[in-house]
Formats: sequence, structure tokens, C-alpha cells
Amino acid sequence: MTHFSEEDLIAYQLHESSDEAAIERHLDECSDCAAVSDSIAETLRIFSSEPVPQPDLDRNWQRLRGNLSVLTPEPRRARFPRFLLWPAAGLAAAALLVFAFVNIHVTRGGDRIADLLPAIHRIERINHPNTAINGHGPLTTEPAGATDPGMANHLDAAERLLTEVNHTSGPLDPADRAQARQLLLSNAVYTRAARERGNLAQAAVLDDLGRVLTTLDNESPSPHKTLQVRLEMNTSGLLLDIRILRQNDNRQNENLQ
Amino acid sequence: MNKAEADAIEQILAGNRDAYRVLMDRHFCAVHRIAFRITGNQADAEEAAQEAFLRAYNKLPGFRRDASFSTWITRIAMNTAINLVERRNRDLSQHGPRIADNPSATDQTVQMADVYPGPERQLLDREAATLRAEALAALTPMERTAFTLRHMEDLPIAEIAAALNVPANSAKQAVFRAIGKLRRSLAPLAGGLQ
Repeated sequence: MTHFSEEDLIAYQLHESSDEAAIERHLDECSDCAAVSDSIAETLRIFSSEPVPQPDLDRNWQRLRGNLSVLTPEPRRARFPRFLLWPAAGLAAAALLVFAFVNIHVTRGGDRIADLLPAIHRIERINHPNTAINGHGPLTTEPAGATDPGMANHLDAAERLLTEVNHTSGPLDPADRAQARQLLLSNAVYTRAARERGNLAQAAVLDDLGRVLTTLDNESPSPHKTLQVRLEMNTSGLLLDIRILRQNDNRQNENLQ
Repeated sequence: MNKAEADAIEQILAGNRDAYRVLMDRHFCAVHRIAFRITGNQADAEEAAQEAFLRAYNKLPGFRRDASFSTWITRIAMNTAINLVERRNRDLSQHGPRIADNPSATDQTVQMADVYPGPERQLLDREAATLRAEALAALTPMERTAFTLRHMEDLPIAEIAAALNVPANSAKQAVFRAIGKLRRSLAPLAGGLQ
């Protein structure tokens, strides 16, 4: 007599077998297979009635709500005109070079950094938990300027500049470009401070801001350059991130009052 | 996906975080239930369900509106719960509550409630509950997930396979392996299963 395997009998008990009738006939005749089949059925019965406790929806919502960032729809991928491919590549390479130059410049700019060092050291002493999760929007509830009012001013200035960029169709005027250059140095310092403080969400936003500022500072004057920067660097998304950081600040101030 | 859910997603993407409550009210219990089947305890199930909802929220901008939110969140929840179980298994410092005759806060032991009425009561006593818990804990996360979803939640193999991102035959084999292991683990309880 050919016996059925344990696997066949499990499939039979789960009604997954393609040969259910044949197994049934065999079980009537074979006591060994019938015993294994019964023990499988017993096992399934023992594990079939475990109750599931009901979760507390309100409590879970409250916990989840605190971690939700403000979302925006994913931007449609813009068709990039082929004739702009090489200029864009050149722009990216130039931006990279300038970024490297600025980094060196910042490292050497001892006087300015020395002014800001006390602020950085004050920040370093505060050990905040990092709530950053890579995603959409800076997932942090930490007030951006709580430890340094200069940071709040920096975000204000960056917000104004980005708003200007988002509403400009032609090339940026010289004053805005000068402001971008001016913001670059302080942005590098605040980025480093945020990173050392462990607030990676804030550091990521400032990092993005640094890239936009570098590009704005070095853009060549042409009618469509601002539009191109807007599309390539997603300045609208960055603006939203900065506003969220500022909102965190405002909320903190409201709580203090 | 029905209109209420589609509207909620529109609102969320327009910046209204509170609209996510609509999706949570509809699906959290089902997600929690599956997470409980996989993790085997309430605290981890809630953690996995929350993490799944947070992940889904952050991925909402890329979510295809013609897809089912329910299927999508279930898939995320399964993966999240399996990852949590694997993380717990790796984390030697994790001491979950252990089952004991006399619950003790200092020893972090709990007593299993005997909620099974009728003729099963004698079999499913405290010793049986301990054996059940140990037998399930001895399964791999994949086996446990495949088994509990197939047997306790009555999900079809195809759906489980899709959620686990494995071929249907692998999911089926995982169920079979799990039942075989459980049967042997329970041998002392059933007076020597063959």
C-alpha cells in the first residue's frame, strides 16, 4: 500500500489538495495515515481559536498623529527637453565645483565662524532625540530656532528669498543673488549645528537649501534660468519644509506664552 | 477604493493630516489583527500597525489611486510585522513577558487567560497555552505569518504570497512546514501525536 506524505495530508486538511477523493479513500483503509491526518486536524484545531484583543483606536491615532508630516502630491515628472540636457549637466558640474569651493571657503572663514561658535557650542550641549524619518517634509517637531534666534532669522530670510524665486519668471535681480550668497555661509554653519545636535531632519532641509542657494548664486542670467532652478531643485517643496520648521518654532513660542 | 477613501487621500495630499483618521478608522483593526497574528502579542502588534500606517502615510504621494488601500496597507503591515519579529529575535536584550502560573511584575511574567469554553477547556489549560506559545515562537517569521494568515485569517495562498513577495508555492510550503513543526511540538500535549 502506498502511503501519503505528511505534506499531502496537511494539504488535504487545508482543502488545498488536488487529490482529495483519493486521500479520503486511503484514510478509510490505512490506520497509520489516518492517525497522522487526525493529529494534523487536532493541531489545526488547537491553533484555530486564539482571540485577538481590540486595539484602542483613539490612543493609537493620537500617537500616530504626532508623527505625521504635512504632505504634498508627488510632482509630475517634467519632460526634460533634450536640448537642455548638456547645459543642465554643465550647470550641475559647476554647482558641484562651487559647492566644493564654498566648503573650503567656509572652513577658512575663521572670523565669521568664530562669531557663531558659541551658539554652536550652546546647541551641542542640548541632546535632543532625533525624530527624522526620510520622507516628505521635515518630520521633526523640534523648534528650529529655540536655541539660537539667529537660526529663526536665517529661516525667515531663506523663506523670503525662495518665495521670490518661486514668483520670478525671468532671471533673479542682483540683490536677490547677493542675498543668496550671503545666506550660503550662515546656512553651512546652521546645517553643521543641526547635524551635531542630532536633528537630521532639520539638517537635511538646510542641506537642500544650501544646494539651492549655491545654484542661485551661480546662475547665469537668462530668461528661463529661474524656472529651470525651480523645476530642478523643487524649490516649492523646500519652501514648504522651511515653513514647517518655522511652524514648529511658532508652536513652541505659543506654548511658552 | 471607495469615494470616502479617495477623498481622504486627496485631503491628506492637500495638507490635511487629520483626514488620515478616516483611513485609520476603516483599516486599523484589520491591520492590527494581522500584525497580532504575526507578532503574537498586543504591544508588538500595535507597534507594527502604527509603523505600517506611518509608512503608508509617507508613501501616499506615490500611491496609485486605482489600487486598493486595504491590500496595500495589509502588505505593508505584514512586512513591518515580520521585520519587527526578526528584530526582536535578533535583539538579545529584548525580554518579552513570559508565561507563568503566578504572574509577577518583577519577573515580567504573565498568566495566560483561559478563554476556551466547553470540552476544549481540559486540553487548553495553562500548560497547553505555554506549549502553544512556545510552538509558535519556534517557527520562522515567514512560517508563522504564512500559517496564521492561511489558517487563522483564512486568506488564500495567492494573497499571502503576494503580500510576502514570494512565489505561491513558497508560501504554501511555508504553511506546510509550519503545520508539521507545530504538530511535532504539540506531541507531548496530545499524548504522543504520530
